[in-house]
Amino acid sequence: MLKNSLFLINPQLLLRCNTRPLLSTTSIRYGSSAVITAKPKDIELNGGRQTVKAPNSRKTFLIDSYKHMMETHPVVIFLHYNNLIKSEDHHFRDQIKSTNGKLHKIRNNLFKVYLKNSNQSDPCAPIDSKNETLVKNHPLYPLFTGPTAAITYKDINPTDIAKLIKLLNIAKDKLFVIGAKIDTDIMDPFQLGTFSKLPSLPQLQATLVSMLQMSGGGSLVQTLESSTQKLYLTLKSHEDNIKEPKE
Amino acid sequence: MITKYFTKVIVRFNPFGKEAKTARLFLASIPPRQRIMGTKIENELLNGTSTKEPIIKVVYKDKKEDSVDPRVLSFMEIANKLDGHSRQLRLKETIENH
Repeated sequence: MLKNSLFLINPQLLLRCNTRPLLSTTSIRYGSSAVITAKPKDIELNGGRQTVKAPNSRKTFLIDSYKHMMETHPVVIFLHYNNLIKSEDHHFRDQIKSTNGKLHKIRNNLFKVYLKNSNQSDPCAPIDSKNETLVKNHPLYPLFTGPTAAITYKDINPTDIAKLIKLLNIAKDKLFVIGAKIDTDIMDPFQLGTFSKLPSLPQLQATLVSMLQMSGGGSLVQTLESSTQKLYLTLKSHEDNIKEPKE
Repeated sequence: MITKYFTKVIVRFNPFGKEAKTARLFLASIPPRQRIMGTKIENELLNGTSTKEPIIKVVYKDKKEDSVDPRVLSFMEIANKLDGHSRQLRLKETIENH
């Protein structure tokens, strides 16, 4: 009721409660509830970047950091962070660091904003609610309903994840996996468990190469090589033919 | 929510499901010190193919058991429901101490 009645009031009046207007332009509502609060001066200072919240604000920074996190790290594991005490938090952070990962606590609503705008080049930019490129049902969306943390890895290495799962088994209800993003796949905790049992990527590549070379794969390599060899021989003979008349 | 009189808590849920919000808020509302003080907290995760039902089960100090379905009730509703017996226990404790 109150929310609806707010629309009846002139937005300029609301903004002028502090004797001077906060915004020089009229307040425009984009999406569901975001009101543009970035001042023209801020936008000018940040190279003209149009954002909903001020470009140098905490919210803009966090959304940008989530974009960076999701786009530069192939492995992001989401956990339920069950109000740990300080010493436990330090202990788990240290242990996670030893598996080459890093723990981040997440602001759910801001992460959801990022997920919605994950298709856009700038997730902080104002959008129209009718915009069809918005991701309305991102598969990770249901995970952000409670205290959430994320562990990021710079490489896909199942052995690191196996170590992490072993560590989290000790943590029990304090810290547990609820979902994961591996490359472009979204996994549930069970699928992540199966993934962690795989050998590492270089090991898999080595097995594939040895399989191709050893067990009957010799002919396969020969077949693959034959066309290039034939081409080389044909060109070589043609070259010889051209060279002959000169001598 | 009064969590002081819980001796065992079992929470079973699917993190991608509708019940995840209630279940996770319930888990987070139990103070961390309570684990040291002897309350057992068990959580089990389900996936889409699990046949088990999501549940929040609480055992009180007087061994009374209470279970609720996190798909049907919200966190506040569950807290109100469980507080009913906790208040009785608190009253009993106050009377005994005086």
